[in-house]
Formats: sequence, structure tokens, C-alpha cells
Amino acid sequence: MKDDLKDKAKSRELSLIIESSPHIRDKDTTPKIMYRVIISLMPAVATSFYFFRWRAILLILISTASAMITEVLCLMARRRTLKTVLDGSAAITGLLLALTLPPSLPPAMAAIGASVAISLGKQVYGGLGHNIFNPALVGRAFLQAAFPVAMTTWIPPVTLKVDVATYATPLGNLKFQNAIALGTLTPLKDLFWGNVGGCIGETSAAALLIGAIYLILKKTIDWRIPAGIILSLSAFTTVFWLINPDRYAPPLFHLFAGGLIIGAFFMATDMVTSPITRAGIWLYACGIGLIIGVIRLFGGLPEGVMYSILLMNTFVPLFNHYLRPRILGERRPKK
Amino acid sequence: MNLATRMIVTLTSIGLISGSFLAIVGQVTKERIIFNKKHEIEMAALKVVPGASNVKMIYEERDFAIFEDRDETGNLIGYALQAAGTGFQDKISLGVGVSPDLNTVLSLIIIDQKETPGLGAKITDEISFLQYWKNRDCSKSLILRKPPVDNPNSLAPNEVNAITGATISSQAVLNIVNEAIKKARQLQAEGKLSERH
Amino acid sequence: MAEKTRKQEFFKGLWGENPITRQLLGLCSVLAVSNAVINGLAMGLAVTFVLIFSSLIVSLIRKIVPNQVRIASFIVIIATFVTIADRTLAAYFPHLSKAMGPYVPLIVVNCIILGRAEAFASKNKVSRSVIDALGMSGGYFLTILLMGLIRELLGNRTILGYPILGKWFSPWVVMLLPPGAFIMLGLIIAISNVIDFKIKERQKRV
Repeated sequence: MKDDLKDKAKSRELSLIIESSPHIRDKDTTPKIMYRVIISLMPAVATSFYFFRWRAILLILISTASAMITEVLCLMARRRTLKTVLDGSAAITGLLLALTLPPSLPPAMAAIGASVAISLGKQVYGGLGHNIFNPALVGRAFLQAAFPVAMTTWIPPVTLKVDVATYATPLGNLKFQNAIALGTLTPLKDLFWGNVGGCIGETSAAALLIGAIYLILKKTIDWRIPAGIILSLSAFTTVFWLINPDRYAPPLFHLFAGGLIIGAFFMATDMVTSPITRAGIWLYACGIGLIIGVIRLFGGLPEGVMYSILLMNTFVPLFNHYLRPRILGERRPKK
Repeated sequence: MNLATRMIVTLTSIGLISGSFLAIVGQVTKERIIFNKKHEIEMAALKVVPGASNVKMIYEERDFAIFEDRDETGNLIGYALQAAGTGFQDKISLGVGVSPDLNTVLSLIIIDQKETPGLGAKITDEISFLQYWKNRDCSKSLILRKPPVDNPNSLAPNEVNAITGATISSQAVLNIVNEAIKKARQLQAEGKLSERH
Repeated sequence: MAEKTRKQEFFKGLWGENPITRQLLGLCSVLAVSNAVINGLAMGLAVTFVLIFSSLIVSLIRKIVPNQVRIASFIVIIATFVTIADRTLAAYFPHLSKAMGPYVPLIVVNCIILGRAEAFASKNKVSRSVIDALGMSGGYFLTILLMGLIRELLGNRTILGYPILGKWFSPWVVMLLPPGAFIMLGLIIAISNVIDFKIKERQKRV
């Protein structure tokens, strides 16, 4: 008898329609979001052309093309529909990767990087939405390990009109050439407009910020992530700068130098690899900012944006699991 | 036989058999292994002083040794210093040949290293690193030229080229060499490198 | 389950129960010393030697050794052969011995060897155990050799020290570093899974 009742209860339960969240939908679709991000990166692409000319455009085209071709090949190998190639996600990966490459990098290496970004950074996990790490950063980390010399050789922007083969980035100058003591720390104005050596798309903070503001206004990216990164990095660097300004650079320098802006606004905000809850987002963002600070101030490398985002990416599933908002009235189970 | 005895008997006999077997293997290979180790360092000591035909160790301490290099007629033509120090990842052990007055580095050889393959490990590479160590003036400390220059002739007599992208490993080698020469000079001043013909 | 034929017993180690791609055993040495073909070769041979002889001896004495002390006895036997391999390498191939560092002595704790001793040799006849050991070490050997081939080629453009790829190819340093080992191993396991899946699908259809 009892079993009978149970079965009945079960069948009633099964007749319910169960649908996983999200229940609220808006008109944003993946392609729409992706193309919005691509548009927001256009100012950065334009400035990269202004500062590094055709080298930059060539790298961007090759990297994007390689990313899309790899996406097609992977989808074919996985026997999936090829329609998703045009959703723009592969193009963004290729574009973002290109923007974080040094201008003198041989284009073949950019192609390898973009291919690794898509295949090992995204498709091996099962495609868009399943990846743990930001694909563009996976590609960049691979290139950094594969071609360490080519990835750390920099040339000056053409606008500087200096005739040297290699040229230190502002952060490299700070870490390896004793810039503060010599008084050669790159002026903030140059950092802001981008008239410095560095990766093709990260030099101009101004161009990136235009795109970032557009994305924040459109609510495509969560303002909390860049805010958390900027706040924590500023706090960290301010403390050390106040303790010893002869050794540590001012916080504003750190905000505009290197890949912080592109990392904070465009890489860390990747919807797939950032946490979904408020508490998770703040923890994630502050973690990134602090790790950047530690690497830049005390690490062997001049720049740490890439590694800190990748590191915090690994925590995202953990944050999503433990920092779920409680349902109204639910109590924490007693241990 | 009860279980306890059986356990003891089996383990003991397995241990005994293995042990005696290993003793034989150890005996057979012992000489060769010691010879290999010695041979490697002596060959290096011979190689770093061009024209040397025999070497003799005249001083030894932890991570540091000095060899006399003589030519066929028995003239002292240089010293080989064997030294080790910290590299980027692990200890780097090297041999450096110096002139009898300790003022010229004749050549350098890397005996052992575990630097990053393709980067720091290039310190063992003749073309990208070792060739710049021929006939350097070390009456003062040697210094590293970074970024490296293409033409070796444009290096100052006491400069050596760094390896692009592997400054830390290059610097480590340089420090070990400078340190070794300093030590040798001190020993010479104390008369411990007395010339015996 | 029906008794396997001797042929099946040998080939299962190469493919179906490959110690590296299927059982994921003894990965430490595979990851660490597969950065050059010669190191892979030497490591493969060392493991083959140890595995075959320890399986042989373990199988020979399987009825004498009391159950309670079997693991201890196996370890002593394995350690003996590892020490022989290690000393021989150090005496006659000093360069190889140096390149492999601690990984030859570490064969003692390589799970493949104790695993085969415990799971197979201690329960099977001598001839069968040796065939099993041959297959297993063959699987290990081929996989580490494949890793060595790809990693040396991409990371150093050479195979066994001979230049294969021209100057146009800039070596992927990452392949010689630990991440390269993990990436390669992952890819090899993935590809072998895909092939296995395809084979099974075809068998189903037939």
C-alpha cells in the first residue's frame, strides 16, 4: 500500500514541468552581444593602426582568421553545426588575442596562438559556454611559453619616431631599467593616449575606455568586475607607493600601464569565465587586482594581468558553487 | 612451518638474494661510475685551456676546484677553475680556463645545468654564448653586455654577450665565473697555487 | 570472462589496456623525461627491463611468498632491478643517466610495475606474466617514444638530435617545458579515446 502511494506521488512529481533558470529573458542573443563587443573594440583597433601601422592590422586579420578557421575545423571534427562560427565568439577570441600581442611578433605565431586559443582554450571543453579559462588568454599564455623571446621583444610606436630596434614597455622600463631612480618613468599622458611601447591594442587606455563605457552602458559587461580590479590594484599599489615612492610607481601609473585596462574591461568580464553572483564577482575581481599587484611589484615578470585573470578563472566554479544566493527563508543547514 | 616463520624466512631470503646480487652489480660498476665523474671534470679542465695536454688538481673545496694545465713540455699554460653556483632553476656547474697570471679568461665550458630548454639552456651553446668567452680580460670583473651585440669585436675586452631573453642565466654564469676568479686570485696571493716545475 | 589467448595478452598492453593512455599509470616519468627522443628511449628501455624481470621473478615465487608480505617482497624485487638499471646507466651511459636524473630510481614507485606484479604476475603462470609484462612495457615504451618524438620535433626541431625542420620553423619552447608534456599527454589520450570509440562503433554496426 505504502509503496503504491509513493509511486503515485512520484508520478505526480514527474508530471511537473521543470525548467532550469534563467526564466527571465531579454532580447540579447549571443551574436548580438558578441558583435557589440567587437564594435566596442574598434577604437582600440584604430589606435593600433595609428601607432603600429600595417603590422597591427596584419596581426589582427591573421589572428581572427586563424581563430575562425580553427573553430570551423573543431566543429567539423565534433560533428556540430557550423552555424555557430558566425556568432562572433571565435572572432572576438582572435581579435582580443591579437590586441595583446607585441607588434613585432611574426604573423605565423599569431596564427598558432589563435588556433591554440580556440582548440585548447575552448573547443576541448565542449565549445562556447563550457570553457574554464578565457580562450584568448589561453592562446596568449601558450605563445608566451612557446616563443618567450618573440613575445617579450617590443618595438616603439611609429609616432615616437625613434630609430631603435627594441624598445622597453613602460612596465619593463619600471622593473628592469630602474626607471624611478633615473626619472624615466613613462609620463601618464603618454600612457593614457597610448604613445608608448607595448602590445598593439593595449597601449591606448583612452581608446579602450571608450569601448568599455559603451559596453557598460549597454549592460553587456558587469561594471563590478573592472571596478573591483581597479579598486584592489589601486589600494595595493597606493600602500606601497606611500611607504616608498622612490621604489614603487604611483597607482595611476599602474592603472594605465600594460594590459590592465584591456584585461579588466574585456578579458576578466568574459561572461563564461566570470562568476555569476555578486559576492563571487567582487571576490573574483579583487583577487585579480591583488595578484596583478603582487606580480608587478614583487614578481619576476613586469606584467601580470594575463596570469592573474587565468588564475582567478580557476576559482570561478568554486565561487559559483559556494556563493549562491540563498532562497528567501532558506537557512544555512546546521553542521 | 607456521605463518610467522614463513613470512620471516621469505622476506629474509629475498632480501639476502637481492642484497648479494646488488653487491656484485655495485662492485662491477663502481669503478666506472667514479671514473665517469672524474673523467668528465678532467676532460672539461683540459678543454678550457687550449693546448693543454695534462691536468692535475691542485686545490679542492665544496663547489670549487683548481686544476693546473700543462703543455707537452710541462710548462704551466693556465689554470682550469671548476665552480658551481645558483642559476635560474638549479645549480650551474662550469669550467673556466684562465691564464697563469689569472688576468685572461681563455674559454668557458658548462659542465652541468638545468636551465629552461631553449632559453637559459643556451648557455651551453657555442654560437649564442660560449664563443664570446674566448680571451676576455678579467683583470677587473667581467660584465654582461645586454642587450647583446651582433659583432663580437664591438664588445669591450671585459664584456661578454648576454643571451636574448635569458639574462638571468647569463648573469648567473657571469657571477659564478667572477666569483671563481676572485677566489683563485686570493688563493694565489696566499701562495697556494705555488708553481712547481 | 574467457581466458585470453597469448596474442591478446600481449596486445592488450599496447592498446586496450595501455598503461599510460588507458590506465593512466606511471605518468610522472612519462611527463618528466619525454622532452627528447633519446630520453624517452632510455626510460622506455629501463622500464621494460625492470617490468619484465620483476614480473618473471614475482610469478616464479608467487606460490612461496605468504600473502601478508607479498607487497614488501615485490618492492624488494623491483628495487633490485631498478638499482641494476640505474647503476648500469650511470656506468656505461653517463649522459643519459644525467638527463634522466632521479626518474630512473623512481621506477621503484612507478605504479605500472607494482600494479602488474600485484594484479597479474602474482596470479598467473610465468610465461603468461612475461607476455603481459612485454605488452605493458611495449605500451609504455611506444607512448613515451611518441611523446618524445613530437615534443623534440616541435620544441627543438630535431629528432634524436638531427635537425628535421628547417630554420623557418621557430621552435615551440613550451613543448620542452612541463606544460607541453601535459598538453601532449592530454591530446594523445584524447585521440586514442576517439579512435577506440570509432572502433567500438564499427563493431556494433557489424
